[in-house]
Amino acid sequence: MSGADWLSYSLQDFVMFGPQVFLRLFVRINQDLWPWQVLAVVAAIGIPVLLFRQKRFERRLAVGLMAVAWAVSGYGFLVGYFGPINWPAVWFGWAFVAQGVLLAAAMFSGGVREAALPSGRFVALWLIVVCGLPWLAVAESGQWQALALFGIAPGTTAAAGALIVAVITGPWRWLYLPLLVLWSLFSAAMFWVLQAWWLLVAPMATLFLVGAGSWLSPRTAQSPD
Amino acid sequence: MADWFSRRQFLINAGLAGLALKSPSLFANTSGTPSLSPIMRRIPGANESIPAIGMGTWITFNVGGDEQLVAQRTRVLKTFFDLGGTVVDGSPMYGTAADVIGEALDSLDAHDRIFAATKIWTGDESETRQEAARSGRRWGLDQFDLLQVHNLLGWQGHLETLKQMKANGDVRYIGITTSHGRRHREFAQIMEREPLDFVQLTYNVLDREVEDRLLPLARERGIGVIVNRPFQGGSLFRRFQSEPLPGWAGEAGVSNWAEFFLKFIISHPAVTCAIPATSKVEHMKENMGALYGALPDADQRQRMADYVGSL
Ligand SMILES: NC(=O)c1ccc[n+]([C@@H]2O[C@H](COP(=O)([O-])OP(=O)(O)OC[C@H]3O[C@@H](n4cnc5c(N)ncnc54)[C@H](OP(=O)(O)O)[C@@H]3O)[C@@H](O)[C@H]2O)c1
Repeated sequence: MSGADWLSYSLQDFVMFGPQVFLRLFVRINQDLWPWQVLAVVAAIGIPVLLFRQKRFERRLAVGLMAVAWAVSGYGFLVGYFGPINWPAVWFGWAFVAQGVLLAAAMFSGGVREAALPSGRFVALWLIVVCGLPWLAVAESGQWQALALFGIAPGTTAAAGALIVAVITGPWRWLYLPLLVLWSLFSAAMFWVLQAWWLLVAPMATLFLVGAGSWLSPRTAQSPD
Repeated sequence: MADWFSRRQFLINAGLAGLALKSPSLFANTSGTPSLSPIMRRIPGANESIPAIGMGTWITFNVGGDEQLVAQRTRVLKTFFDLGGTVVDGSPMYGTAADVIGEALDSLDAHDRIFAATKIWTGDESETRQEAARSGRRWGLDQFDLLQVHNLLGWQGHLETLKQMKANGDVRYIGITTSHGRRHREFAQIMEREPLDFVQLTYNVLDREVEDRLLPLARERGIGVIVNRPFQGGSLFRRFQSEPLPGWAGEAGVSNWAEFFLKFIISHPAVTCAIPATSKVEHMKENMGALYGALPDADQRQRMADYVGSL
């Protein structure tokens, strides 16, 4: 293909589905999973609580839950629901699963901070993400059944996962970051083409939270240990 | 197609009667007498005609396993058939659209009402037959009416196989596609050399480059022309729908913007069929309105282009 041909392509040419079909994915997965969403909500609330506990096991459980959230939203939503109408979603789905495995590996290899997280700011941001972002899909679709819950919907999961940067240390953090950035760029481009303006907030929040997570991390936060 | 003609014609007329009741002016031609026969176009070199408005499926029919949306798209396809459409265009590139068409054809029991056109879209030039067979299974058809090499991808190898398939009776017509004005020089060279039944290309009231070379060449070589992106992917509506139609639109057989855009295209003498895509029954009804009534003549076509250019 010549250079001129490539120039004739726009972002639009790569989005092969319409906004209605995309927003229906949230409704469908919620209908199919009901009532297991309850577990996702418990995990979303439980993770910051566990990160504040003194017992190492509990903090590891929090990171383990985040790893499961990556894998479930990747395999469930991206591979299972989104993949059939959009092939790149399948690649991202497996990348989400790999991100979960990476996080679990970091946890067992000393790549996750062992001391309790001291920051109330972390909890505040976390709660804003897991309680606020799910409503973006509702605002966009006008259907409350489209709630994009943490651990199920990739956007909310990635945004919360960005904050977890705060507890990942050393080279593990550099391995953890690329997917957050790639997913944010990919989903932002997609929502832009779909003109789904509410949904654009999620990738922008994710990029912001990568920065916030780094800022709240052990090097900058005052550790009691 | 002959076996099902009378049943089909009955359904078309029933659908038209409904539409005419809803909008009595829709089928009034310029002489004021109602016209209920669809505008048909002969396939060059063949003893067969097809309706001048078909249907595309890019984006609109890619709804995955969403049963609610599959049922809704089935209603879109039913409306299309009921209003006299037959030509449906797809591609393996369009995600789940092929499966959705297959499901819709099953539930409408309409396998014999379709002129099925799909594409070969793989860089592996030895995969032509396999890909056609895979598409056939997804659409629920034994054979396609038309197989086209999508965007010239691997066209040499695919076209050789398609010619053999046509000679063996495995497909009725063969062709090539492009869009967005891409690779027109190479496209013209293939049209000059190869025995094509159809080409598919982009043409609409704003994108008129094909008028210079490709459309005259198609007439000269006796090749049917299927027009994709007749609404420029929907942007023609976004740009012009808020504007009034010109006062003389009725004289050109046009009563809404969909008819304006589509009649401009199908009134070009080289064009066989335009394939607008829609996900909505209401839009399908509007689009199929262009299959009936008067068509603009050459002067009116020029006025249409000038009018849009002036907005
Ligand atoms: N290289 C190739 O082979 C190639 C390339 C491009 C296209 N194609 C074929 O050509 C077909 C048509 O092209 P396209 O789908 O890209 O674009 P198009 O038909 O020009 O435009 C489709 C858009 O127009 C909107 N629309 C349709 N009817 C309408 C109406 N009456 N009022 C308002 N909006 C209306 C649809 O939205 P709604 O769903 O809301 O109605 C949709 O967004 C494709 O589906 C595909 O089959 C082939």
